[in-house]
Amino acid sequence: MPKKTFSPIFLQVPITVIIWSLVGFVLAWLIYSFLYSTPPGGQPTFAALNNIITMFSDSRLFNAVLRTIYYAGVGTAIEVLLGMLVALALVNFISNSTVRFAVLMIFLTPMALSEAIASHTWLMLLTPQGYLNSILRFLGLPAVGWLSESMALTSLILADVWQWTSLPLLLIYAARVSIPQELYEMASLERLSAFKTFRVVTWPYIRNAVVVAALLRFIFMYITIDKILLITFGGPGFATETLGYYIWMQSFSYRNISYAATLSLATLIGATIIAYIFWRMMKR
Amino acid sequence: MKLSRLLGLIGLAIFGLFIIGPLYITIITAIKNINDVFTIPPKLIPYTDFEPSSEAFDFIFNTRGKYTFITSLIVASTATAIALIPSLLAAYGFSRCPKAAMNDERSFFTLLTLRMVPPFAVVLPIFLYWNQLGLFDTYPALIWTYTVFSVPLAVWLLKGFVDEVPPSIEDAAKVDGYGFLDRLRKFVIPILGPALAATIALVWLFLWNEFLFALKLGGSRVVTYTAYLPQLRVGQRIQWNVLGAIGVLGAIPPLIILILFRKYLIRVYLGR
Repeated sequence: MPKKTFSPIFLQVPITVIIWSLVGFVLAWLIYSFLYSTPPGGQPTFAALNNIITMFSDSRLFNAVLRTIYYAGVGTAIEVLLGMLVALALVNFISNSTVRFAVLMIFLTPMALSEAIASHTWLMLLTPQGYLNSILRFLGLPAVGWLSESMALTSLILADVWQWTSLPLLLIYAARVSIPQELYEMASLERLSAFKTFRVVTWPYIRNAVVVAALLRFIFMYITIDKILLITFGGPGFATETLGYYIWMQSFSYRNISYAATLSLATLIGATIIAYIFWRMMKR
Repeated sequence: MKLSRLLGLIGLAIFGLFIIGPLYITIITAIKNINDVFTIPPKLIPYTDFEPSSEAFDFIFNTRGKYTFITSLIVASTATAIALIPSLLAAYGFSRCPKAAMNDERSFFTLLTLRMVPPFAVVLPIFLYWNQLGLFDTYPALIWTYTVFSVPLAVWLLKGFVDEVPPSIEDAAKVDGYGFLDRLRKFVIPILGPALAATIALVWLFLWNEFLFALKLGGSRVVTYTAYLPQLRVGQRIQWNVLGAIGVLGAIPPLIILILFRKYLIRVYLGR
């Protein structure tokens, strides 16, 4: 006897309820706050136009966006390139699979840690009287202002490279070990140079992993402000104030609620566009 | 050939040093007396350079520090538990009924967009939401927020796992008139077994490590170990050794999960 069945739509009902219980308010609030500004004790006034004009004439915002591009762009480039080199070196130069696996596990450790732990580890290293400077002084070298105005953003990239190079490393490693060994035997029979072998054999197989890793790292460096919040507080001056940190300041320090909502909406749209590109890549 | 191998191994060793160095520094800082933390020359080798001290761990276990780990455990576990079954239903729908409304690929990608939402862009409205409901700085607020943001990750992982269960095993059941729930319960869940464990572990890990929401939605009554770290930096002296010790303790669950579920790790990012 056939049992009662129901439409597959019902399979989606629980998560839809869960998500919209919170996200519905967030979206409505962001849009309302972008449209209307309410001064303390006053009436809501239409502010959307003003917000947009402020956004396009805000030089501090402009600089924050440039810093975000530098931070996420340079960070992603280093992480993907370094991750690729390490992944290929692991496969090519360590043939004992137990050793290779143990090394891979050690390399993956930083990625498993909380951003909050990684940030404090790097604060210990970078702070003026911290470990890096005391080691430098011990070696008779001059101390470096790791968190000074000119260096701070680069130091943050260094901390992120430490924590997240293992993500591209892992993805590219997985793609590399899936390449049939015969292809390399053929390449060596053909006496192809190392570079040519990389270009003809390795690259076509790892290309997707490289692109996906780069997009993922870029997205996550764009949306994560934990290290900035914990290591530099956006400073010194505005030296490490990225887009995310600027919105954080507008939200919680200056309490420009309407303007913060405008910037938040703009970033959400930006994130959605990058996410869309990412899913397009993943489908291939 | 020999030379390139040598250079490659040297390169790997340098990278290894770069990875291990900061981990080592965190561990030795955790077992230092506060006066031994920053010195010139640096004290780097236990027993030779400095006498290991349990000062930092004593501090954690004698103050509310220890409760922050319990808070993290409660919040991450409860949210994972709440998110699991609804996510499994949704993942099953996305996998088996891609033609049906709300189960199609477009809905799936829309859901996944939530994984890429910048926390800093939504944390203020979420803070106001819980404030308005009178739940700011309570367990329900943080748990529910975590549930919402772990659903996309859980669905993403589970869909990949359900995709690998051949639909043919359900066919007979379908002919017999079993509904979705029965098919899922009797045929899919038993096969998923270890994959379900991996999903739970990875979602839990993501929540255990979360910082930004924990910082803004808690503060005094609900303090996770990640949100507790910055609280150790206010005042006269930064308690570096306690920061290190919290880091060491907080790293234990992630390392266990990394070792146990290593082969599933890649799925967090690729879904397959």
